[in-house]
Amino acid sequence: MKLAFEERGADYLLIMREEHGNVAPAMISKGESADSVRLDIPYQLVTILENIYPWLSKGKIAIITRRCDEKALAELVKRKYVDEKRIVKIGLACSEEQIKKCRCNDPVPSNVAVGEPHEGMKDDELALALSKRSPEDRFSFWVDQYKKCNKCFGCTLNCPVCFCDDDCVLEDRTFVAEPSVPPGLSFHMIRSFHMADKCIECGECERACPAEIPLLTMRKLLAKDMKEVFGFAPGDEKTVSPLNTTLEGEQLEDECDEC
Amino acid sequence: MSVRHVLTTCPYCGTGCNFYLQVIDGRLTGVVPCKTDEISLGRLCIKGYNAHAFVQHADRLRHPMIRENGQLRKATWDQALDKIVGELKRIREKHGPDSIALLASAKCTNEENYVFQKLARAVIGTNNIDHCARLCHASTITGLVHSFGSGAMTNTIPEFDDADCILVTGSNTLEAHPIIGSRMLRAKEKGAKLIVVDPRDTPLSRISHIFLRQRPGTDIAWINGMLKVIIDEKLVNDDFVKSRTTAFEELEEAVKDYTPEKVELITGIPKEKLVEAARIYAKADKAMLAYAMGITQHSNGTNVVKAIANLAMATGHIGRESTGVNPLRGQCNVQGACDSGALPDLYPGYQRVDDEAVRAKFEKAWGISLPAKPGLTLTCATKEAAIGKLKAMVIFGENIMISDPDIGHVEEAVKELEFLVVSDIFMTGTAQLADVVLPAACYAEKDGTFTNTDRALRMLRKAIDAPGEAKADWVIACELGKKFGSNGFEFSSPAEIMAEMATVTPIYGGISHEKIDRGVVRWPCPTKEHPGTRILHAQEFTRGPGMFAPVQHAPAAETTSDEYPFILTTGRNLFQYHTGTMTRRSPKLEREAPEPYVEINRGDATRLGINDGDRVTVTSRRGSIALKARITQRIIPGTIFIPFHYAEAAANRLTNAALDPVSNIPELKVCAAKVAKA
Repeated sequence: MKLAFEERGADYLLIMREEHGNVAPAMISKGESADSVRLDIPYQLVTILENIYPWLSKGKIAIITRRCDEKALAELVKRKYVDEKRIVKIGLACSEEQIKKCRCNDPVPSNVAVGEPHEGMKDDELALALSKRSPEDRFSFWVDQYKKCNKCFGCTLNCPVCFCDDDCVLEDRTFVAEPSVPPGLSFHMIRSFHMADKCIECGECERACPAEIPLLTMRKLLAKDMKEVFGFAPGDEKTVSPLNTTLEGEQLEDECDEC
Repeated sequence: MSVRHVLTTCPYCGTGCNFYLQVIDGRLTGVVPCKTDEISLGRLCIKGYNAHAFVQHADRLRHPMIRENGQLRKATWDQALDKIVGELKRIREKHGPDSIALLASAKCTNEENYVFQKLARAVIGTNNIDHCARLCHASTITGLVHSFGSGAMTNTIPEFDDADCILVTGSNTLEAHPIIGSRMLRAKEKGAKLIVVDPRDTPLSRISHIFLRQRPGTDIAWINGMLKVIIDEKLVNDDFVKSRTTAFEELEEAVKDYTPEKVELITGIPKEKLVEAARIYAKADKAMLAYAMGITQHSNGTNVVKAIANLAMATGHIGRESTGVNPLRGQCNVQGACDSGALPDLYPGYQRVDDEAVRAKFEKAWGISLPAKPGLTLTCATKEAAIGKLKAMVIFGENIMISDPDIGHVEEAVKELEFLVVSDIFMTGTAQLADVVLPAACYAEKDGTFTNTDRALRMLRKAIDAPGEAKADWVIACELGKKFGSNGFEFSSPAEIMAEMATVTPIYGGISHEKIDRGVVRWPCPTKEHPGTRILHAQEFTRGPGMFAPVQHAPAAETTSDEYPFILTTGRNLFQYHTGTMTRRSPKLEREAPEPYVEINRGDATRLGINDGDRVTVTSRRGSIALKARITQRIIPGTIFIPFHYAEAAANRLTNAALDPVSNIPELKVCAAKVAKA
């Protein structure tokens, strides 16, 4: 609180707090009291920020920032969705328990204001196990998983770097034809590739999935390919996505803000 | 600039997921899941994520209206309420209090339904109060009350996680109760056997271990068939049957002829699969049975529900952790509307109106003498209106012009009424016929409680103001009570109403808003100190010994003929909800399922020369609708399916209003129909 409002000059603070026996995301204005703060429930506050930001024309917003939030913010800033000067990051180092739950390999923010830094997990067990299976076997594993999809759009709605709003390709009949449930594989493949150069592996899609499809493992597998093929990993404010190139392999002069 | 996240309860199905409504300067901007909610675990379905979308729609009703010279014209609240009270008094004087009926609503809160039934009974002087539970689980109440003594889910939603076997019948759980469906998925991942019995291939049946496809209207046959297998193979839980139940011999006698061969003939279920499913269910340690409209919406619905109860009792699959019988309630507060006494034969808490001691208790509490005769059910009320015996209806938040069977008949009945009042959030098909229309606040604009399908009290918290002059239904009902000159309607908040309700409703005796604000409490909760009850019938059944009921297969009220060769069955899809009043005004939901369709089996379609996407007419003995054909293997030959959400091709123009004699539930799941290319 003091750090956000007094030392860093924020007008608002985005945080989690206990209300009605549950833990809620909350935005507190300068001068309001903030009791019952809880930092142990992993709301993706950048997703909340993204919803609020267009309505908030001025003022500085402090936000509790895990390493994944920090990377998500970098992707938003890079695409000019958020003005970096208006954001105050309050770094939160995740607990060992949370790191384990998230299978997180990069848990420490660049500036830790709250919490003790812990080491990340090396491997995703499911990703390792899958990599030892035949391509046919892997394919049938994912088909079985995606059969459970009930098209809630929770994976996109809760994603901090999914920001096409009303122009989402997954809602476009050209790309995702079937009116039925579960949606066809194209739904999941298009989403995977659309997220390939932005996904920061926070795992919010997996946590939000009612069918408990291991979406984070899918993202990790794709991230590995991105790294191997392009030497690129999202979450860095300066590096431009290698997918934003011309056919000749030259980078575009002005980066496209749309995707 | 103010940003708030208001914890409240989803207004769609009976699962009762809590979520946060995001409010920015009085504008609803979205829905955020609540990660610590015991029921939803921070997950929602597509309807939940879009539950904000219709709330601030331009079509919302903003001011009262009175019909003058055939036109609805803007009026003040005083004019509208005076008109209602004047007309109802006039009709009551001329034709008696039983010429007036009130329809309460499974979309309104417990507190509102409590006030509605008090208004009917203590002010108008009639037990003519009912609501749409008549159309969905009326037969669950009559059936399970007979067998167990209580007609609600015996277990809780989280308990599905730990079952060893889940038998789902007549429930398209992943589309109609998605978050309960996700619990079933989770159980399956943990090793549970999943058995689905349904004429339609559903998202859940596609991932089940055993999928039995019965002809619509043959449920007692397959259930009795399973019971015969269980008895013949000595899989009966003898200890349970002996110590906890009565009349097992009658059941043995009743099912003895239901050989797998005979059952196959009646139902179409291959005998080997029936035997296999019976064995798996009977042998499981922890077995959850879940069902919905496919079981209840039959002209012998009470008997089908009793057959379900027989199956659970014979195997001892009731009264333990992750083991029980679970009717999945379809509306956000249909459980609560029943609990609150919005039923013509029952006061709040399922206390009978024809029980003198109970009536005396309510007369004392409300300080007025009360009618002894049980009132009209919703389905009978429309029949009585059609013949001119019922003169006036006051409808809070129901749209009977799309939801009820045989709506051609409903329309005629409604037009026969001398006086119709509708309180709603949009100008529904029913409201268009009203003499007075009142603008109501929706779930996001008021406080109160819903009781979800697993008997948990869930708080509604006001996030924004209602549009224009719209008021919460509890306020409207209280103002009507006061205008009638009655005492007992001076409530200043829903919390005060719940406090009164708790004093006269033993199963809610310990419930208060304060108590449920911070935790999940399920009824029965008789005292302030009581923690609530997760599992019903644990030591003994509510009625004492569980009662086996010898029930026999009977054909549906309407069977197919040469002229009407198809069985028509109706239901929901994932994206729309009931009469579409809310979902069809939610752009992302409407985009996913924008138009009515009829599912036809590929073989039948080929024979009739119908291609996917063709316009067809579907006709029953009551009416005809035109819509698009969806050709699929997801429905068995000889059966067609139409979702009932779409006013432009309302499935209920076709359905049959044949009623179950005990519960008066209509046979919405079976009627005879024909299909032709338009």
